[in-house]
Amino acid sequence: MDLEDDTTILTTLKSFNSFISRPEHPQRLSEHSAGSGILQSQYKRSMELLEAAERVHSKNRYLQLDQEKKQMELSHKRARFELERAASDSARDLEHEVDRNQELLGQIKKLEERAEEVNKKLTEQKEANDALQKNLEGLNKTLEERDDKLGTANQTIRSLKDEIRELRQKIQNQDSKMSAQTLENQELQEKIDLQQRKYQEVSQLCQSLQAAQSSCSDHIIKIKELERRLVFQEQDFAIVKTVKSEVARVPDLEKELKRLRDDNAYLRLNTFLKENCSLLKEEVEGLRKKLERMEKTKEELINMELEKELHAWENLGQSTGLNIRKPEDLSREVIQIQQREIALKEQNYTLNSRVRSVERSQSELRAELTQQHSKTLEEQKKREAQDALVRRLQKRVLLLTKERDGMRAILESYDSELAPTEYSPQLSKRLREAEDILLKTQSHNAEMEAQLTKAQEETGTLKLQLQTVSEPALLNSVCACIFFLRQKIEDLERERQRLEEQNNILEMRLERHNLQGDYDPVKTRVLHLKMNPTAIAKQERQQEVEALRQEVTRLRDLVRSLQSGGAVGHSQDDTHNPSFSLSLAPSKEVLDLRKQMESSELRNQRLKEVFQRKIQEFRTVCYVLTGYQIDITTENQYRLTSVYAEHMDDSLLFKKGSNGSMQLMETEFSKTLGEMVALHLHHQKSIPAFLSAVTLDLFSRQTTV
Amino acid sequence: VLQGTQKNCIRAFGINSILYQRGIYPPETFTRVTHYDLSLLLTTDPKLKSYLTNVVSQLKEWLFECTVQKLVLVITCLETNEVLERWQFDIECDKSAKESSAPREKSIKTIQHEIRSVIRQITATVTFLPLLETPCAFDLLVYTDKDLVVPDKWEESGPQTIDQPEEVRLHSFTTSIHKVNSMVAYKKTESA
Repeated sequence: MDLEDDTTILTTLKSFNSFISRPEHPQRLSEHSAGSGILQSQYKRSMELLEAAERVHSKNRYLQLDQEKKQMELSHKRARFELERAASDSARDLEHEVDRNQELLGQIKKLEERAEEVNKKLTEQKEANDALQKNLEGLNKTLEERDDKLGTANQTIRSLKDEIRELRQKIQNQDSKMSAQTLENQELQEKIDLQQRKYQEVSQLCQSLQAAQSSCSDHIIKIKELERRLVFQEQDFAIVKTVKSEVARVPDLEKELKRLRDDNAYLRLNTFLKENCSLLKEEVEGLRKKLERMEKTKEELINMELEKELHAWENLGQSTGLNIRKPEDLSREVIQIQQREIALKEQNYTLNSRVRSVERSQSELRAELTQQHSKTLEEQKKREAQDALVRRLQKRVLLLTKERDGMRAILESYDSELAPTEYSPQLSKRLREAEDILLKTQSHNAEMEAQLTKAQEETGTLKLQLQTVSEPALLNSVCACIFFLRQKIEDLERERQRLEEQNNILEMRLERHNLQGDYDPVKTRVLHLKMNPTAIAKQERQQEVEALRQEVTRLRDLVRSLQSGGAVGHSQDDTHNPSFSLSLAPSKEVLDLRKQMESSELRNQRLKEVFQRKIQEFRTVCYVLTGYQIDITTENQYRLTSVYAEHMDDSLLFKKGSNGSMQLMETEFSKTLGEMVALHLHHQKSIPAFLSAVTLDLFSRQTTV
Repeated sequence: VLQGTQKNCIRAFGINSILYQRGIYPPETFTRVTHYDLSLLLTTDPKLKSYLTNVVSQLKEWLFECTVQKLVLVITCLETNEVLERWQFDIECDKSAKESSAPREKSIKTIQHEIRSVIRQITATVTFLPLLETPCAFDLLVYTDKDLVVPDKWEESGPQTIDQPEEVRLHSFTTSIHKVNSMVAYKKTESA
């Protein structure tokens, strides 16, 4: 409505403006022609326009007032609305407040009731308190009584404790004594043990001694026997010796006999001396008697030997322990022994034969055993085959029963489904097909079973063949196969072991690497925070290092500048960087030192100049006064040149000796002064006189010349 | 989750005690704290604390997901940049147990006992480890599965192994989900 009013206002204004502008235009055109009538009409028009304008204005104002009124009404309505709302809100608040008030009142009542209750409880508590206090007082009294009792008890306890202490001390003393006793006991026991051990050792020693003694006595007895035997043997030996010697004498005697016989025969043949015959006969008789005696001795010897042998035999008999007196006994013994040997040998042979027969029987039995084993194995296999067959048959039976049941079920289902008289040809066809399939499967089954049995029989026969040594060719091939397979197995086992070892080594290495922190880049990843302390520490360290380097360079420059500044002088210090403020302090000392040095140098120089001047003065004075110029040419050599010298080279050389005396050296000039040398130096031994003589001489030469 | 927090506390305490024992940070910066019936040392240096809390919080996540394989504390010499000591904790996680909410089969007491033994062992190893004479710094490395998403502030690094180390295996302890094996490897000193 306002907008429409506005638009109406605007439109009216526009029309008014247009109305005003239009008459102006024509007014301008008709300005010249218009007179007073025009003025009147203009005045009228202006009055009309004014009125229209006033009307328009009044309309506007009216419209505005309308608007304002409407607005005021709206605002009034809004205010009323808001007031109503506020009123309602305040009413609600009031209600709320009233409710709360009531609630609070109720709460207050409750609290008052509770306060009353609490008060009641308080009074009750107070009464209880009073009662308790009374109780307490009673208890305190009892406590005091008990304390008194406790005091007395404590006193008794103290006295008892003292007694206990004394008793304990006594016990301790006793214990210590006991322990001492036990220690002594132990020591004594140890001693006893030692003594026992010693006793045992001693007894052992005694026993050993006794044994040794017994053995000794045995040995002594043996020794005595041996000695006796030795004595016998020696006696025998002596006898044998004598006999031997006598026996040794026998061949000699025989030889003598022979010789004598020959002599006899020779004597008989050659000489006819009968006188000697009787002598010879007597000799012969004597020799015969000797011979007889010799033969007797021989017989005795033989007898003795025989007796010795007999003795030996007897000894043998004694030594062998048998009842032997004569060689017949020995032979009997020998025969007996031989018989025994024969008997034993017969026994041996019989035993050997028995053993062999037993072994044969054993081998036969073993063969029988193996045969029986093979038979049993065969029987077992047959039984297993039979069992397998039985099982198969049972399975077949089961299958067949199942098939039959299935068929029966199918048939029954068919019967149940269809009417009992309806047996369509389809069903029968299906039945027949099923039966055919069944038959086929059964035949297939039978064939498979037959094949299976064949294969099993073949394996069984193969095994049997393996066990029995029937066909060596098959066996060999089988053996070769087995051998080959065994070798393969061994190779594989070896490789497996090797691979296992490698595996173990690698696993150990892996574990070690894992321990060291190695990781598999495919599976794992190593992470750490970017801002970790090590990185931070490294950065700080680098910064430190850089700072240190900078400081080092700065200090080097300073040092260099100081060194260069010291040579030039302290005036340049001002031109240096003010950052060298640190070096100002030491440079003061340096400056002082420099000043000192300079002053000392100056002094030195001045002194030198002064000395030189003085020396020069002195030399010139000497030259003038003495007439000689003294130069030092080399160490201890002085060259004198006279004022009045004719030539420049005329000079005298003096050398200072080790003892301090001056000696003249030979020069060209000195050769010309030979007389003066001889006079002044050799005779007068005065150098000044010589020198003055030389000057006088030269002077005289000069003046004359 | 409880065990994860426990483990992190273990980690934090273990790391702190290692740092104290090896003298990497001056002992004045450590304070005593009583936890698990054992008096332990925690650092007061704020930078170090913030670093440790960062690492430990991230570790907690990863432990819960069972993607952590190892945690390694590496001590490097600052001058020569070579690794002097390596404390390695292998974590074997039973991943199947994560899904099922299995009750705490191990009592807190046994876990505390095991933690105590680990910390005692760390203290005991100091007797035979060579002295750290040069200034050193430490770093914490985490070995995780390859397919893990790398969070912002973490980056990859090398394993930081020692060449020709001496290795000593320490006690291992288990909770119902994790098993932790610990070992220390150190560089042999020339005089030995």
